[in-house]
Amino acid sequence: MEIKHAAAAGTLESSDIMVTVLPETEGIRISLTSSVEQYYGDSIRETMTKVLEELEVKNAHIEAVDHGALDCTIRARLTTAVRRACREEEAL
Amino acid sequence: MAEYVLRPLRAEELSQMEALLAREGLRRDGRLDHSCGIFEGDTLIATGSCAGNTLRCLAVDGSHRGGGLLNQLVQHLIQVQYRRGNYHIFLYTKPQNAPLFEDLGFAEIARAGDSTVFMENRRTGFSDYLSRLREESAALEPLSGPTGALVMNANPFTLGHQYLVQEAAAGCGALHLFVVSEDASLFPARVRRELVRAGTAHLKNVVLHQTDSYLISQATFPAYFLPDSDAATAAQARLDGAVFARMAEALGISVRYLGEEPFSPVTHIYNQLLSQTLPPSGIQCRILPRKAASSGEVISASAVREALSRGDWARVETLVPPSTMAFLRSEEGGRIIASLSSHGGGRPL
Repeated sequence: MEIKHAAAAGTLESSDIMVTVLPETEGIRISLTSSVEQYYGDSIRETMTKVLEELEVKNAHIEAVDHGALDCTIRARLTTAVRRACREEEAL
Repeated sequence: MAEYVLRPLRAEELSQMEALLAREGLRRDGRLDHSCGIFEGDTLIATGSCAGNTLRCLAVDGSHRGGGLLNQLVQHLIQVQYRRGNYHIFLYTKPQNAPLFEDLGFAEIARAGDSTVFMENRRTGFSDYLSRLREESAALEPLSGPTGALVMNANPFTLGHQYLVQEAAAGCGALHLFVVSEDASLFPARVRRELVRAGTAHLKNVVLHQTDSYLISQATFPAYFLPDSDAATAAQARLDGAVFARMAEALGISVRYLGEEPFSPVTHIYNQLLSQTLPPSGIQCRILPRKAASSGEVISASAVREALSRGDWARVETLVPPSTMAFLRSEEGGRIIASLSSHGGGRPL
């Protein structure tokens, strides 16, 4: 999938993650802010990388703000944000 | 559990908002274009606003801290910004509150003394910008001498601007020339940049950059575009200086050139503040006198806009280089000039 414009999903509430997907010219870039970075930072980045691979996203800049989201939440939020970012019409 | 409601503020609730801000030592900004509040019953217990691409005037009542109200506020304001298409968002806060915003995904760009921290919602936004500045400078062929910088809006590029660039370039080995990116002037950023490029192409030790939202923008320096109190202007100029100091560090800039400003009080305060705040960071400030036209009068972009609005082409020709003249005579130039009568004219520099 090709990122056509910026889009986001999720919230800043506890146990959620806010994911913003932005266009990027080359490759995947993931910026993560997480309240559990020390323990789960790498695992969150790994989950996100996998989701992007599954969705066949080659170029994207991801800004994610995590407040202790479960793995399934991370997958859902990122998938939703990517789908929105790939739509023709602009959507939040 | 108490019932909290987050909603946009009504006009008659502004006094409640001002009272809450005052308790936190803040005053209501005059430029807010969206304000919301969290209410417990009829009582406002948290408030936050947007102005352009910034979040402003955020406050949570002292007895309601630590309950996630700030997260809800910022969440709402980010969504407002995203809906507007602003995905790159800025805010200022007091240093003691910066960690709260870091937790919400904001990263520090620069801080002015112990009063203000300037932040953005991209962890590597500013460092990416600095990398881009370095890439743009890779092709530069510096002569011997210090590395300098000059920032201009060039609305539009005049013989006065050309003189400033030439003087500055002659005094240093390499000159980084920043053109203000903010689209708040009569001439759009793309046109201003192109006219600067055309009018400085003969200077080989000059490299052009854009300021993005980092210098003299609605985010860092709103007083440049809309008048504000002298104290607010000074605070903004100090912050602008702090951001510039970080850019100077990345590019090895040791001299900042400023055009003398006899007319605009805002630019005058800006020049004064930079002359005070930059030297401690190892950056010298040199204020260059303005070039006078053959009539003896100082050349300024506002004089050009004024002459254009009267259709006085003979006068315009004495104020701008041939490259700018050619653009003003073009079809696109004509359209911009046509909007002058209704537009006012924006700021000088």
